[in-house]
Amino acid sequence: MAKEKRKTPKLDELEKGKWPSFVKEIKTAAEKNPMAEDLLGQLERSYEEKIGHWKHGGIVGVLGYGGGVIGRYSDLPEEFPNVSHFHTLRINHPAGWFYTSDVLRKLCDIWEKHGSGLTNMHGSTGDIIFLGTRTEELEPVFKELTDIGFDLGGSGSDVRTPSCCCGKARCEWACYDTMALTYFLTMHYQDELHRPAFPYKWKFKMAGCPNDCVASIARSDMSIIGTWRDEIQMDKEAVAEYAKSGLNIQRDVVGNCPAKCMDWDGKEIKIDNKACVKCMHCINTMPKALSPGKDRGACILIGSKAPIVEGALLSSVLIPFIKLEPPYTELIDLVDRIHEVWAENGKNRERVGEFIQRVGMGNFLEAIEVEPIPQMIAHPRENPYVFYEEYYEEDGEDSDGQEEEK
Amino acid sequence: MAEEKQKRVTDIGPPHYEKFLPPVIKENYGKWKYHEILKPGVMVHVSESGANLYTVRASSSRLLSIDKIRKYADLADKYCDGYLRFTSRNNVEFLLTDKSKIDPLIQDLQVLGHPVGGMGNSISNIVHTQGWVHCHSAATDASGIVKSVMDELIEYFTEMKLPSKIRIALACCLNMCGAVHCSDIAILGIHRRPPKVDKSRLKAMCEIPSVVASCPTAAIKPATYEGNPSVEVIEERCMFCANCYTVCPAMPLNDPLNDGVSIWVGGKVSNARSEPMFSKLAIPFIPNNPPRWPEVVGAVKNLVEVWAKNAKPYERMGEWINRIGWPRFFEMTGIPFQKEHIDDFKHAGLTFKRSVHLTY
Amino acid sequence: MAEQVKVEEVADAMYKMVKDSMGQKKWKATDLTKAVLELFGDRCDKALAKSAIRELIESGKCVYTYFGGSFIEIPHKEGAEN
Repeated sequence: MAKEKRKTPKLDELEKGKWPSFVKEIKTAAEKNPMAEDLLGQLERSYEEKIGHWKHGGIVGVLGYGGGVIGRYSDLPEEFPNVSHFHTLRINHPAGWFYTSDVLRKLCDIWEKHGSGLTNMHGSTGDIIFLGTRTEELEPVFKELTDIGFDLGGSGSDVRTPSCCCGKARCEWACYDTMALTYFLTMHYQDELHRPAFPYKWKFKMAGCPNDCVASIARSDMSIIGTWRDEIQMDKEAVAEYAKSGLNIQRDVVGNCPAKCMDWDGKEIKIDNKACVKCMHCINTMPKALSPGKDRGACILIGSKAPIVEGALLSSVLIPFIKLEPPYTELIDLVDRIHEVWAENGKNRERVGEFIQRVGMGNFLEAIEVEPIPQMIAHPRENPYVFYEEYYEEDGEDSDGQEEEK
Repeated sequence: MAEEKQKRVTDIGPPHYEKFLPPVIKENYGKWKYHEILKPGVMVHVSESGANLYTVRASSSRLLSIDKIRKYADLADKYCDGYLRFTSRNNVEFLLTDKSKIDPLIQDLQVLGHPVGGMGNSISNIVHTQGWVHCHSAATDASGIVKSVMDELIEYFTEMKLPSKIRIALACCLNMCGAVHCSDIAILGIHRRPPKVDKSRLKAMCEIPSVVASCPTAAIKPATYEGNPSVEVIEERCMFCANCYTVCPAMPLNDPLNDGVSIWVGGKVSNARSEPMFSKLAIPFIPNNPPRWPEVVGAVKNLVEVWAKNAKPYERMGEWINRIGWPRFFEMTGIPFQKEHIDDFKHAGLTFKRSVHLTY
Repeated sequence: MAEQVKVEEVADAMYKMVKDSMGQKKWKATDLTKAVLELFGDRCDKALAKSAIRELIESGKCVYTYFGGSFIEIPHKEGAEN
């Protein structure tokens, strides 16, 4: 213990308070790990100077893969040599983020040996994040991960690690098996996940119901959101129980229905299921009494993303309802057609949502062979700038000289 | 060498999730009937079979040491036969079948420094990005602001006294790793100064054509500096994406004088009642003030409390604002309205008030 | 149907394209695919181009890089590296 303990007066302030402290986590790791120790030092410097001290590394990775490693280098390598390299590994998490204590300990043992001892559980896309190691450690970590049955996740212009809510494992509202589909897509697209061949990233997010606990509609190129087509299931006795227990059904349930498809006469709830828009509010409010119907599946939406480059987008409806059962042939055919068109014609850094904006949804639908239907729009166009590709001439030929079809 | 190559295992994907599901989940997969929140951070799922699954949700800092993960593992062994999971908002959940173990587990979590809560009408964990801990383009730190805000708002995590749930998210620059743009309150790091070209080092460190090509708004053009090839930035075209800095470390965008935080409100991703919405700009700029960002903490607390006091039951931030209108939002929150609030990007006109539906 | 070229030949052609334009142009997987389809005409298809990219990467002659989008490049020391 000859070495004097590093002073971090700014970060020490963040050890106070009741919320779990990330500074305590770094300090715990720093007791045994020089990388974590230098991270603490560099972070304290950032807190003093109000500026980050990292550079992006674009080349590091494991052999054969183009994703899964984010390169980082300190811009103060002389002062903090142990974070001179500080690359991150994204490790494909098990669907639903379920673990056993046993497997968590194995992951920890690998990271104790080869990295900073710091993690994120989990990163924004869903991966397990191993935060910070040197270039020469990447292959050994990868080897040990595959030995215990784990693989790297996506990064760069590839299929990113698909993620989902806990679905049927622990939710009565799951309208399809989100974890099964997530596992299936992850395995089916292993090549596309590890070897970037797209214009930019492609994210799949699977939500079991319209509550969308994985925010799929805001941040996935393909949002697969569970829904149903038949009547909301109702347990009338349970409705009465809720009323008796003091729930204001008229104000809190019926009054908040966006489709105005519910009535409450003081004894019974009546639902005009034809008008129900499947928003989940009544079901959320009375989970013992109401539940999604029995004819369950999913709505497929396309194109959401954060602002870079052309502005943020929410996903929009592509397929209003699809049954999602193995072997998921219809879904895979659709995804492959989209990938084909987008990979062929998309520009570097153009997400599929932006690609659709550029070429037009109508043209995009034609290219992927999906019929336009009114469920896809909030309302029809308000401008008259329709670009017709063909027109007729007096002599009975259309614009590209072909004989008019009679 | 050839043998080495053959032994290399790739493309195995993640382990199958079934390996990590507790027996009660395997037996009741797809058979859950309903759930009930028993108290803050504790819920029970009841199966058609009559089985009960208790979930205890504890806060987490997302950035975790392996020491802490091992402690979680020990708790899982002690109370849940070794099973646990994490949530989409970085909380940790322990899955129990024995109701009597709930309170002792909560006790142990308290001792470990991880309060239980984040269910129902509460503030759940703040999803966030890497910030100064690991990101090259961060305009602010992520974990430090999250810690400071949650320290201040912890009562709304550990209790359920809000009109509705409220989702807070933080991204440390406008690349927004994670979906902060549809949150009730989004804290967003912003840069305000275009990249400064490090002219003396650029030639040695970077490929000029790649730097030029990296800019999505074509704001970077080739130039000559003391006879050497270099680049210059057309500053008014820069939208601070940092892609040039990603490609070339001699284009630093980070700047302590101009970097800071903006605050956005009223987004949601759930379809419940109203359709999903983007968050809208509430506060254009707050300077970075580490280690505890008191101005950001104060602004977020004010937003939460004004909403909590005035919203109707079940009304999310955006639904409340849609009902009362933006003029009253600014009035009630005391946030000054300024030029930056008015959109001037594509289709900005759609965001102007185009009726006389006003309150006086 | 013309006889297909060998995967090594496609990989070599790709390698030359990447090498010749190093420092000037970054290639994406799809750009390389389009270029070899043009070069070899009906003696090459997308599946073959894909195998050639895999060959190129697994031989270590090229690596995937990420600079705000993924590219295929010849390994080199980058500006950020310490």
